[in-house]
Amino acid sequence: MSELTLLVLRLAFLLLLWVFVFVIVYTLRTDLFGQRSRRLKDAQPAAAPFAAAASAAPAAAAALTEPLDRRPPLASERTAHRLVITSGPRQGMELQLPEDQLAIGRSSESGLVIRDDYTSTHHARLMLWNDEWVIQDLDSTNGTFVDGARVTLPTPVPLGTPVTIGQTNFELRR
Amino acid sequence: MTATAERSGVPSLTTTITLKLRQPARLRNVELPLLLFAIGMIVGAMALVELGAQGSIDAGMLGLVAGLGVLGLVGHVILRVSAPEADPFLLPIALLLNGIGIAEISRLDIAADRNGWDAFGVKQIVWSGMAMVIAFAVLVAFRNHRILQRYRYIAMFTGLVLLLLPMLPGIGQTVNGARVWIRLAGFSFQPGELAKIALAVFFAGYLVTARDSLSMVGRTFLGMRFPRVRDLGPILVIWASSMVVLVFQRDLGTSLLYFGLFLVMIYVATARLSWVLLGLALFVGGALAASRLLTYVQGRFQGWLDAFSPQVYNRQGGSYQLVQGIFGMADGGLVGTGLGQGRPQVTPLAYSDFIVASLGEELGLIGLFAIIGLYLLLVSRGFRIGFNGQDDFGRLLGVGLSFVIALQVFIVVGGVTRVIPLTGLTTPVLAAGGSSLVANWIIVVLLLRLSDTVRAHPRLVLEGSGP
Repeated sequence: MSELTLLVLRLAFLLLLWVFVFVIVYTLRTDLFGQRSRRLKDAQPAAAPFAAAASAAPAAAAALTEPLDRRPPLASERTAHRLVITSGPRQGMELQLPEDQLAIGRSSESGLVIRDDYTSTHHARLMLWNDEWVIQDLDSTNGTFVDGARVTLPTPVPLGTPVTIGQTNFELRR
Repeated sequence: MTATAERSGVPSLTTTITLKLRQPARLRNVELPLLLFAIGMIVGAMALVELGAQGSIDAGMLGLVAGLGVLGLVGHVILRVSAPEADPFLLPIALLLNGIGIAEISRLDIAADRNGWDAFGVKQIVWSGMAMVIAFAVLVAFRNHRILQRYRYIAMFTGLVLLLLPMLPGIGQTVNGARVWIRLAGFSFQPGELAKIALAVFFAGYLVTARDSLSMVGRTFLGMRFPRVRDLGPILVIWASSMVVLVFQRDLGTSLLYFGLFLVMIYVATARLSWVLLGLALFVGGALAASRLLTYVQGRFQGWLDAFSPQVYNRQGGSYQLVQGIFGMADGGLVGTGLGQGRPQVTPLAYSDFIVASLGEELGLIGLFAIIGLYLLLVSRGFRIGFNGQDDFGRLLGVGLSFVIALQVFIVVGGVTRVIPLTGLTTPVLAAGGSSLVANWIIVVLLLRLSDTVRAHPRLVLEGSGP
């Protein structure tokens, strides 16, 4: 083992040590510097190619973007940030939507826990796909309804559209 | 209760595990590559040490280190099943620090020609393995951190007993002047290391209930609200016990650690600066009195303030060790001499108390800062977990446990670099020492458990009525 190889190896070790530190810092960036949001001019063009791809081949795009797209979702003007209970036992309550997805069901592991006789344990989930909230029914017994129609496939939820789960109605608002 | 359970009866353990593994676990997928990166780094560090120090690679040691990495992967799988929402950074950081420590300890083994089971590096690997197994058992056993709140007084009792155990004649042992060891059936153990976890649990549980009486009442003096005399009880008890450690166990570092932990937790719980000022005044007063009365504290102060005078340097128990450590780090300079190529063995206790100086010599300032950066990330994740906590107990416990690590790193690194007087404490997960490894891995795992319960908490619960 020559001196030179050892020198290169030991400098590479130091470099990799710092790479490790910075990989963690990079993964943590939203935590350290806050959400990258409210920059509409930057956000729109970045989101546009994804939207085009999604409309061309919805199934393929969905399969590709969901596991791959780890970037924090860009908050554009049309993305909902709140979920408001519009009717049902706790009318008027609202919650801030999380970054990527929200589980709905009777299980206490869900983000939105609805405990009534019509709700399944893991009933449905809301997911943010390409800046748009999409609801997916998780094979619930009594179904999930968007604007009165029962959904079986992941369905986009536009702002202000009533969603019904059990006895509870809610809608997404900005 | 669940729909599946109604249909197929109680789900068996294996089906629960497969169901859990099938769920998308975004955080665990972040953790896996980092963990593999860390494993590569620790095997690489070991290989570099052997290349640098003896010119050839010993496959046996590399295999042992890789085995530790496999244990880390086992921990990853356990997390996938048992705590899928736990923080993804703690395990890789702790494993990397542990591995770097092992590499440096075996480097010193090579220098001192220790082989086989006499080698501290091999012992350290075995201890790390045991510590990780114990820690993962703790992770599986504690499904919810709130259970700990119920046992806060038992935790206090355990903590104080562990703290005072080395003073029992028969099992207590004096090593290098400090009486902090016990020896049972051939094994040495430092019970004070585990005591810090027990005390953090007690402080968190106690402060949740006592917070109001500690923060709301009292009289204002000089613009600050000072507590009532009768509320001073706990702080006096903790002060007294840390002074007992200082005087009778002759361990400045441990005493500073416990008292600092209590002060920070009481400050976080009550948000009142007066507690910190009172506590600091008490501690500085006690330490000053001790430095007058106790010769070993006096020696530490002199070795710190006047390290380079030949008289102090040459004295028995003087500043020889500290100064050799500083010379080593100076020799390392910016990029270090390279792993296995320096002479850290000159410093006494280079594998435990002075591991930071040894690493500073061989990895240089750049490498040492990376290590401190890793600690910073570890502690910041801990604070973040505490900050995100839903219940007060979890918040305080998260802050307390991560502050223990932060304070310990500060005391050790500060002592070695002559910022504060040198005290004998271990660098968490880096330095040689079985009890310290067990305790710090348990801290890491408790933080993992806390972070999982924090994230799994529902945001809104709707209690519906029947039809």
